[in-house]
Amino acid sequence: MVPFTYLLLPHLWSARNRAQRRERGDLSRATLFGGVGVVVCAALFEGSFWLTGQLEDYAELGDYLLRLGLSWLFMTFLSFLAFSGVVTALSTFFLSEDLRLLLTTPVATRRLFLARFVRTLSLASWMVVIFLAPVLMGVGRARCAGLAFYATSILIVVPFAVIPVAAGTGVTLLLVNVFPARRARDILMLMGLLFAASLVILLRFIRPEQLLKVESLPDLTAFFATLQSPITPLLPSFWAGETLFASLRGGSDLLHTAALWTTALASIVVLGAAHQRWYFAGFSKSQEASKTRFTRLRGLDDVVGALPLSVVRRQLLIKDLKIFLRDVGQWSQLLLLLALVLVYLYNFRVLDLERIPYMSGFVKNIYAFVNLGMAGFVMATVAVRFVFPAVSAEGAAFWIIRTAPISLRDFLWSKFWTGLVPVLLLTEGLTVVGNEFLGVDPFLKVMSALAIVFMSFALVGLAIGLGARYPRFDADASQVAGSYGGVAFMMQAVLFIIVMLLLLGWPSSLYLFRQVRRVPLTVVQRSLVVLCFVTAAALSLAIWVKSMRDGVRALERMGG
Amino acid sequence: MIAIHDLVKHYAQFAAVDGVSLDVKSGEIHGFLGPNGAGKTTTLRMIAGLLKPTSGRIVVNGHDLAIAPEAAKVSLGFIPDRPFIYEKLTAGEFLRFHAGLFGMNGNGVGDRVREMLDLFEIGKWEDQLVESFSHGMKQRLVMSAAFLHRPQSVVVDEPMVGLDPRGARLIKDVFRRMSERGVAILMSTHTLEVAQEMCDRITIILKGRIIASGTVSELLGMASNADDQLTEVFLKLTGGGALQELDEIV
Repeated sequence: MVPFTYLLLPHLWSARNRAQRRERGDLSRATLFGGVGVVVCAALFEGSFWLTGQLEDYAELGDYLLRLGLSWLFMTFLSFLAFSGVVTALSTFFLSEDLRLLLTTPVATRRLFLARFVRTLSLASWMVVIFLAPVLMGVGRARCAGLAFYATSILIVVPFAVIPVAAGTGVTLLLVNVFPARRARDILMLMGLLFAASLVILLRFIRPEQLLKVESLPDLTAFFATLQSPITPLLPSFWAGETLFASLRGGSDLLHTAALWTTALASIVVLGAAHQRWYFAGFSKSQEASKTRFTRLRGLDDVVGALPLSVVRRQLLIKDLKIFLRDVGQWSQLLLLLALVLVYLYNFRVLDLERIPYMSGFVKNIYAFVNLGMAGFVMATVAVRFVFPAVSAEGAAFWIIRTAPISLRDFLWSKFWTGLVPVLLLTEGLTVVGNEFLGVDPFLKVMSALAIVFMSFALVGLAIGLGARYPRFDADASQVAGSYGGVAFMMQAVLFIIVMLLLLGWPSSLYLFRQVRRVPLTVVQRSLVVLCFVTAAALSLAIWVKSMRDGVRALERMGG
Repeated sequence: MIAIHDLVKHYAQFAAVDGVSLDVKSGEIHGFLGPNGAGKTTTLRMIAGLLKPTSGRIVVNGHDLAIAPEAAKVSLGFIPDRPFIYEKLTAGEFLRFHAGLFGMNGNGVGDRVREMLDLFEIGKWEDQLVESFSHGMKQRLVMSAAFLHRPQSVVVDEPMVGLDPRGARLIKDVFRRMSERGVAILMSTHTLEVAQEMCDRITIILKGRIIASGTVSELLGMASNADDQLTEVFLKLTGGGALQELDEIV
């Protein structure tokens, strides 16, 4: 019979065929994502190199901190891998389409398990490996480690990834035998995102920056005790950290290396046995989830029904909102975004600019522009993830729109207004509250609030327009966001935000500078200030209208 | 041959299949008919090994599916109603992969793959990606895969969907030739003319239970009018009388 690796062939062949037949946007996408990846990896390398170098100055305390840092690094990745293992195993073992083919063939259950586990492991851990590699290289380089350190790193990363992914896969096997697979996925997505959001908020609210203040020094011992408390010798993260630390000092730690490998192999054996016993029952159950419970959202009909909209637009809006709200995978991502926004605003709230009184006014106003830029980037991110895929989201059901007596213009404008309202409310709130916390000049408050309105119209229009020009009816929302059109939108959006910041920043700074000096603007300067503001407004409106027109034309051309 | 005994499948409290027994002998084309939601696809998916029965026994070519699933599947071909094909593989790559899953290897595989592609008239698309295929071409490719390993029994769910008249004729000819060579074919279809033309025996299922079984002539014998076709018998058995109220609704 065929070895388990044979079952991985279609994925390898598909990847090869995909690489051989390049599609439009592949190069720009690879350049953008590859570029971001290289920059992040370089930053991680430099960061860990610098930090390890700094710690070396503190002799034994430095060693202690490095050891603690490695344990924390591995513990963070351990929890990420376990959660990623749970989510990935749901797809690879239970929801993957090709299982409908493979399970009808005489492939031994054990071989199918091994093939699926290798796939789960690679999908769940590639990102961790990519981020871990530059960090460990930075540490090794700073400590002038020999080849043995890098070899040890490779030797421990494999079992270190296997253990949490196997545990995650086991949890999935258990969950699917209790809940229907699709329901389990929703529950997991929500739990994971709530966990991540809480973690982000918690880490920020303990205000680690206080440790940088001299007056906080007596608390350092308590701080280290807090850091030490979650690290237990029973976890693989501790074994990995200890093995690497020993290797860094030129020695070896066979006990912890052996603990890693034996636990990894044992977890595969145990999981394999559990798979043999419960997999088919779980898979069969996962095929039965046709009648899942759902929220009826009857109140939504009443609320939208009260809006002054035509019947067509009302029904389109109700349909879009219900589909969005019933898809946990979609709206739950907003929770994480909300957590990041809270942390962002909290940063402004606790910003202690009064420590530099002679600079505070100037810095506050600079921060107002940082705030505007950040709001712009939040706007672009939300737009590419939730607004750009709006047309593609019609998917295979787009024929309903095409064959109904609705103009494509009405359809696209309906999508625009549905996208504009939440984006505008979110970013306007972010800007107004941020500026309020900072206490910036009233002129800047008004200017920022107005700028956000114009930018929202432009970016939501651009997202809807490009989404209509480059639809992907066969892909899910996250794939659509990463498609050629999505990347093109992000590039244009970033360019637009930069131009807007320049157009608004220069006249605003000129105005504020003159105000501080109590010198009125000259006629030429006043004209230039007005010209910049008018240009910014005109640019926004032009992008908005042109994008929507192009989008409507593209939809009309689609019919031929 | 395919034999199922007292097959039951419950979805929570709902009995999708409720005590179904069937026997498809070697060389027989057995039609499995029923209205939408009657339990046809659930039954076929249990025979193919995609769903676990709540109770009952399935035997494929002498192998109990619950005890020796691999031995049962090695001589079974399955053509689902919604087939999965790797979109980024070529037709040739997909069939060669499929051959490997059934333990076929060596030089003969390439010849067998081309033979099947030619039989189903998609030979010139051997090196084209599946994603560029029409629905009918994909259907032909799935049939090629199902017959590639020379199965002794075949389970087919709605074989004619998406096929042009030439394709439909081709499938009928292939099924007939296979049954002449002793292959047992269990076929679910809504095209009653096809069932009447091709099947040696027919079983009708309604709400998870078998309500009629026999040869085509035995079933036609249940008709009130001598000129009635299988459609009239089917509607009579499955409660299609409601169709008469159409005029009032339309």
